[in-house]
Amino acid sequence: MTAFVLRRLLLLPLVALGVTLLIFGLLQMLSPQMRAALYVTDPRQLRAVDSVIRTHGLDKPFHIQYVGWLSRVVQGDLGWSETAKMPVAKAIATFFPATLELTMFAVVPIIVIGIWLGTLSAVHRDRIVDHFSRFFSISGTSMPTFVWGLLLLMVFYGTWQLFPPGRLSLEPNMYVLSQQFRPYTRLMTVDALLNGQLWIFVDALRHLALPVLTLSLVSCATLVRVTRSSMLETLRQDYVRTARAKGLESSIVVNKHARKNAMIPVVTLSALLFVGLLNGVAITETVYGYPGIGLWGVNAAIQLDAAAVAGFALFNALLLVVGNLAADVLYAVIDPRIRLR
Amino acid sequence: MRRVRRQVLLLLALTLSLSLVGLTGTATGQAVKNPDTFIQVSFGDWDTFDYAWAYDTSSHTVIFNVYEPLVAYDGGRVDRFVPRLATAVPSLQNGLVSADGKTYTFPIREGVKFHDGTPMTAEDAAYSLQRFLMIDRDGGPSSLLLEPILGITKTRDDKGNLTLKFDDLQRAVQVKGNSVVVTLKEPFGPFLSIMALWSNVVSKKWATANGDWNGTAATMAKYNNLKKESSAFFEKANGTGPFKLERWDRAGKQVILARNDGYWRKPARLARVVFRSIDEAATRVLMLKAGDADSIAISRREQPQVEDDPNIRFIDNLPWLRTDAFFFTVDIDTRGNPDVGSGRLDGAGVPANFFSDIRVRRGFAYAFDYATFLRDAFRNQGALPKGVIPPGMLGFNANQEYFIFNREKAIAELREAWGGQVWERGFRVTVLYNTGNVPREIGARILKDGVEALNPKFRVDVRGVTWASYLAAMNDGKLPVFWVGWIADYPDPHNFAFHFLHSDGTFPKAQRFKNDELDRLVVQAIKETNRDKRQALYFQINKKFFELAPSVSPVNQVVFRVQRSWVRGWYNNPVFPGTDYYTIFKG
Repeated sequence: MTAFVLRRLLLLPLVALGVTLLIFGLLQMLSPQMRAALYVTDPRQLRAVDSVIRTHGLDKPFHIQYVGWLSRVVQGDLGWSETAKMPVAKAIATFFPATLELTMFAVVPIIVIGIWLGTLSAVHRDRIVDHFSRFFSISGTSMPTFVWGLLLLMVFYGTWQLFPPGRLSLEPNMYVLSQQFRPYTRLMTVDALLNGQLWIFVDALRHLALPVLTLSLVSCATLVRVTRSSMLETLRQDYVRTARAKGLESSIVVNKHARKNAMIPVVTLSALLFVGLLNGVAITETVYGYPGIGLWGVNAAIQLDAAAVAGFALFNALLLVVGNLAADVLYAVIDPRIRLR
Repeated sequence: MRRVRRQVLLLLALTLSLSLVGLTGTATGQAVKNPDTFIQVSFGDWDTFDYAWAYDTSSHTVIFNVYEPLVAYDGGRVDRFVPRLATAVPSLQNGLVSADGKTYTFPIREGVKFHDGTPMTAEDAAYSLQRFLMIDRDGGPSSLLLEPILGITKTRDDKGNLTLKFDDLQRAVQVKGNSVVVTLKEPFGPFLSIMALWSNVVSKKWATANGDWNGTAATMAKYNNLKKESSAFFEKANGTGPFKLERWDRAGKQVILARNDGYWRKPARLARVVFRSIDEAATRVLMLKAGDADSIAISRREQPQVEDDPNIRFIDNLPWLRTDAFFFTVDIDTRGNPDVGSGRLDGAGVPANFFSDIRVRRGFAYAFDYATFLRDAFRNQGALPKGVIPPGMLGFNANQEYFIFNREKAIAELREAWGGQVWERGFRVTVLYNTGNVPREIGARILKDGVEALNPKFRVDVRGVTWASYLAAMNDGKLPVFWVGWIADYPDPHNFAFHFLHSDGTFPKAQRFKNDELDRLVVQAIKETNRDKRQALYFQINKKFFELAPSVSPVNQVVFRVQRSWVRGWYNNPVFPGTDYYTIFKG
């Protein structure tokens, strides 16, 4: 297994090179004038287009720009993000914890409810639970994220003012920004507890509630469907029939015999969902004014912020490779017949 | 099983009831939230807090409350000044403007301290002005003062080498006793208007200690066109204004200002001002309704969501020193250009010089339904246009004849265009706008409908492109007809006349438009120091703008403000980059 893991990790630089080459190549297909739009954002600056191109070397050949960027990356400098107004590496370090925190809180209900409801639905096929589960899945996946987001915001914030947007309310926010508060992890809930500030912890949870609920509704639905299909397939297997014939209790047959074997596609999907959430959930972050990495990534792409887009892609490639690797390792844990070579 | 079913039904009932309640209700009758903190929620980010670098509204809203100029606008007036860090407004009457109109003396106020407690001096004021001129970053605001003071608009040659001479800088901006003396290259009518917005004073000592320019010739080249992030003022500030920059929290997309308790005037009533950036307009509206925002930025589309709320004040019809227009490119680059069809006047395209015929331009102008545009794009708020100079500014002529929607006149002009060939053969051309700008999209479609209704052989396509594509194509002269707007840098007609009509101006360059008489009039008007004569010259310029129609202004826009009804002390000045928080309080 160790050799397998190492081999997969060694692929990472190659993946990173390919991804950044692709990003830079695509951006290079735009004219220098178009790329100057990152710096010339107002018609009043129109006359400065040529000097902006010269200052930022936007008209230099592709290989010179790419090699220059790559050599700086090797030295640990990912460049300057014009959209984040800070170095790319710092931007990743700044925005990623917010998304990580959101993901950590969202992934638990997504997986638990997804598997639970999917299993329930398969076991009680064509009964009311199954109908509800399918209705839930269809509405969850078919309704756009921003509709869910705005609807929940209108109800839980607009009407009841229970769960506000953003990451913190005014007073907790001022406290967090003061010298009294030490940001150990930049995960607001964790840092609040480490600083012994329960009121900030509670406030952070209030701000996380709706983004987590939105993500759960949207992402959980897919997992319910996959779990249900996989469980239905497994429940039809001979060994399940044998287990039932032996007189085993239904809950043992379902939970111990069937579910474990139905988990392979669920694990794959869960890993992909997790990585997908970590890559940034731009729409959810936009609706809730939650400053995560997805929001930054989308803004960088819209504004043709080349260094930011390349750095963001590099970081995502890393997450994807590690996420897939984790899923592969989990296969072997779930099903001992699978050997990683 | 029964238990599961009960749970499911309960969940469904809860979800439905929440949705029904949530869609209709709003919180009303709230007590003032956060009484000593003002929360402004907008969209977009801050670029930098370097007063010599920033050219965007978000950044200048912060700078405006943290730094102070030598002279300032008198409240909401754009034509009257009050001394701020100077003790008097220079004028011929008080002898602080020389008889030839070229030398301005600013006596510097004593007893003013920077936020770090150090006293502000005349040397600081001179340094700040010199630094503003010297920085001259690409596309930055330095040219606004370079033009009147040094008679140049840039400090580098085409290869990027510094051409500005330190001696010129020293000669133009001098310290004499406790005054700063500025000598202009030529008399420049709107000089004080520019100074009232762009002459912010920073601490030379603080700047030098933080690694910025030390005010010498030796280091000037290093700081000319410096990188934004290299400036000492990028994320820190040390001004004299009523608020201190406490924090630029880029992770939280917010900026926090704290009251300057040592302010030389009476300290502000607000203890804090928080600027937050939230991209989604619906979220901003909900924050305002919940009282978590005191004022928000929205577009006309969101107006119905807030205008009838008793907790919200919707203040409409505020003047805006802005001119939008659709521009005609008179020498279109037709190479590989999808927006000119065949590139010939054959009914399937237009040639490069299609809009060089004045009749084509005027025909398009008469075919535009101005009233419908005002209704559909601006909910009837604003006014029909009178030319290039916005209302409330010197040179605006309410009696100036201007285009109205007139089908007969449009037909008459286009029948004559290109010796009748336009009417005979027809054409196909594209009107472009930058995507996301709803009024421009509406305008482009109204222009299309108006022109196509004149003759079945006329075909106008409408195409929205991203800002990046728009900018590149505009710069390359590839856009046959395009929409763009200009917000005043300072309240003087020169700022509009030059950039809309002078061949070196921003838009005529993109249009490849040049008219010698207009060039002459624009230069003559800016050199004229007599107010009445200047006014007459701008009337003439506006008249030529109507006659030649190089671009067509479709509306005089107004602006609105949305704030909680508990906000007090707000006043409007159309030239301010944002709100003056010094006068504001909540109650």
